[in-house]
Amino acid sequence: MNTKQRIELIIERMAYKRAGRIFEAEGAMGYTVLPAMAGFGNGNRWSRDTDISGSRDMVMIISINDPETAQKILDQLRTLLDEHIGVVSVSTVEVLRPERF
Amino acid sequence: MTVPEAFAKGLAFYLMMAIGLKGGVEMSKNALSFDVIAIFVAGIAMSFAIPFIAFRLLRATSNLDTVNAAAAAAHYGSISIVTFVAATEAVRLSGFESSGHLVALAALMETPAIISALLLVQRQDGAQAVAGAERGELLREVLLNASVVVLVGALIIGWVIGEEGNTKIAPFFVSPFQGVLCLFLLDMGLSAGRGLRQGWRQLDAATIAFGLYMPLVSALIASVVCALLNVGPGDATLFITLSASASYIAVPAAMRLALPKAQPSVYLTLSLGLTFPFNVTLGIPIYTFLASLVT
Repeated sequence: MNTKQRIELIIERMAYKRAGRIFEAEGAMGYTVLPAMAGFGNGNRWSRDTDISGSRDMVMIISINDPETAQKILDQLRTLLDEHIGVVSVSTVEVLRPERF
Repeated sequence: MTVPEAFAKGLAFYLMMAIGLKGGVEMSKNALSFDVIAIFVAGIAMSFAIPFIAFRLLRATSNLDTVNAAAAAAHYGSISIVTFVAATEAVRLSGFESSGHLVALAALMETPAIISALLLVQRQDGAQAVAGAERGELLREVLLNASVVVLVGALIIGWVIGEEGNTKIAPFFVSPFQGVLCLFLLDMGLSAGRGLRQGWRQLDAATIAFGLYMPLVSALIASVVCALLNVGPGDATLFITLSASASYIAVPAAMRLALPKAQPSVYLTLSLGLTFPFNVTLGIPIYTFLASLVT
């Protein structure tokens, strides 16, 4: 097993392509985008099924990288999160096949 | 109760296809004339101009800052395709005729308002207020969003197939139309109620009032424009409705890219929670009356 950094970014759906470009530009080998169902934050409640525009939908992006790549990604995500609704968390994980990350 | 997301989007897709086809078929029977081009130019001008009026009203009367006022104003310069669809049914039931060109105008009036909102923010707060340099993505969202693509695509198809082709697809796109519209308006009513319940506390009284009077302001301006143009009562009703409606599908999505610091709870509560139900219940009858006065 090998140690890597897992980045979990919850961000509004309209910004996920920008976030994806950041991950790719900073050297992430890959990432996965998952739809979020509902949530609450900053006094506002939202749910996927209630807004036909989808403008308030949120997604989660998960990416596992080595610490140096993760730090470069986080530095760029900071700017993105200044503009868009979202949160990011980082955790240390153990992975099989380190060459994939 | 919520209608499943995919089902609601399917209903919206069907309605846009159906209205686009209908408009295209009508257009195939009525040649493009100077009067029609004049309506198009007037509509695009309205879409550009209304956000500036709405912005001034919001800044003068409410506590909204520049970015939120501009984002909200953009919604009122754009159009609600569902309100337009409801208005076409009202026009038909009133016995008026419409030329079909107004469907094309609906597509044309979707996007100029977004440009106006960006100009408003840049003028007031400088270019930093507009997010990033992702102009390509914003341009794609603005010009190629699902509403515009389906509407324009169906319009072209309807124009090409004409009345003869329409007869063959009528059992799917014409006969069920009213029933599908009822279902979709049910879902939109539920969405509007939820949005209003969740969002109204974040709006001051002046902003709430704006959501109710701004459609009437736009309608009056559009009525004056119709009086100057050579349009029939059916087309005038639709033109006034387009001008008085507010977007809650395409523009909210574009605003998340263009003005991400604007709060969706403000502009969505206004356009979906207040203006949409007002237009569908009271607005369309008012606009039909105004159209009959000026034509």
